[in-house]
Amino acid sequence: MKTLLTTLLLLGPAIPAAAHEFTVGDLYVDHPMIEEAPPNAPVLGGYLSIANRGGSDDRLVAIESAAARKVELHRSSVTDGIARMQQITDGLAVPAGTTVELGDGNHAMFLDPDRRYVAGDEIGATLVFENAGRVDVVFEVEKRSAESAASSHGDHAR
Amino acid sequence: MKKPASGLRTLRAVLWTLVAVAAAGTLYLTYGTGRQQAEAGEAFYAKPFSLVNQDGAAVSEASFLGKPSAWFYGFTHCPDVCPTALAEMSGILEALGPDAEKLQVVFVSVDPERDTPEVMKDYVDYFDARITGLTGNLDQVSAMAKDRYIFFEKVPVEGGDYTMEHQASIQLVTSDGRFFGTLATEEGIDVRLAKVRRLIDQG
Ligand SMILES: [Cu+2]
Repeated sequence: MKTLLTTLLLLGPAIPAAAHEFTVGDLYVDHPMIEEAPPNAPVLGGYLSIANRGGSDDRLVAIESAAARKVELHRSSVTDGIARMQQITDGLAVPAGTTVELGDGNHAMFLDPDRRYVAGDEIGATLVFENAGRVDVVFEVEKRSAESAASSHGDHAR
Repeated sequence: MKKPASGLRTLRAVLWTLVAVAAAGTLYLTYGTGRQQAEAGEAFYAKPFSLVNQDGAAVSEASFLGKPSAWFYGFTHCPDVCPTALAEMSGILEALGPDAEKLQVVFVSVDPERDTPEVMKDYVDYFDARITGLTGNLDQVSAMAKDRYIFFEKVPVEGGDYTMEHQASIQLVTSDGRFFGTLATEEGIDVRLAKVRRLIDQG
């Protein structure tokens, strides 16, 4: 067991996902990722998770990126067999002591990306929080997995 | 993610269960009562339409009769449901191996104002060159959707853009245009593959 732990600790920094975290104040932003999309795709879906380890609530109010005309927060759902998408205009609440996801029904929608992005590319963006302020993050572009995509996008960070 | 085991999530699970129960009911009606029932399905996929494919060529209902088919209605400005559905259909084509020849997979744009044939071509090719992409003008697409009981609707969003609400399931159709059943977004790939194989077996 001890050997295993040591091995894991040694391997730790080599696992990209483990290192792919960004911090601002008490907020920990984990694994921002974008799913690779077809050429000419007018939109890209972005996902991440935010852990609020502090004592006060916060709110993700915007995402900015030079790589897209604009970035919107969306809630998408399938209800009664109908796929619906709604813009989240009042931001995404990140209550104290919780972890919330852009994923699992929510996503950041990058509209009109400036070029084609494929798996392995990185897209810089800034997350804007109501209280914690701004934090620069990097979305890693990953191949779309047909297997995991079915149920929920939240799976990417699980 | 560690766990948003929130009430919302539980609610979602309950809702999905209800959907699954409803789907099982539909399945029973479709398959449970046997061949007879499936063959008795209305041939609304044989109703006339005229659209263009991703190469800009005119197509009609006749272009897709004579072989079983799977139809999905969506749009390219969709970051998750549509690309996921197409990625999964390409996975099914792959899993079918040589039998993939016995199935036509069709992606119809419900946003023909933005989805030109050129846009559709790049889009479907990315997932699988065997998928056909259809578009046209809004009237043509609306008429087809109405004939096939397919829901879609334009929804304005802030700043002058819009998005589309649309049918999330994939429709399975027999070679003579009869409705055979659906593939739902929450089903596992193996369930869907089994349904597609049954469709191919029945023609
Ligand atoms: Cu969609």
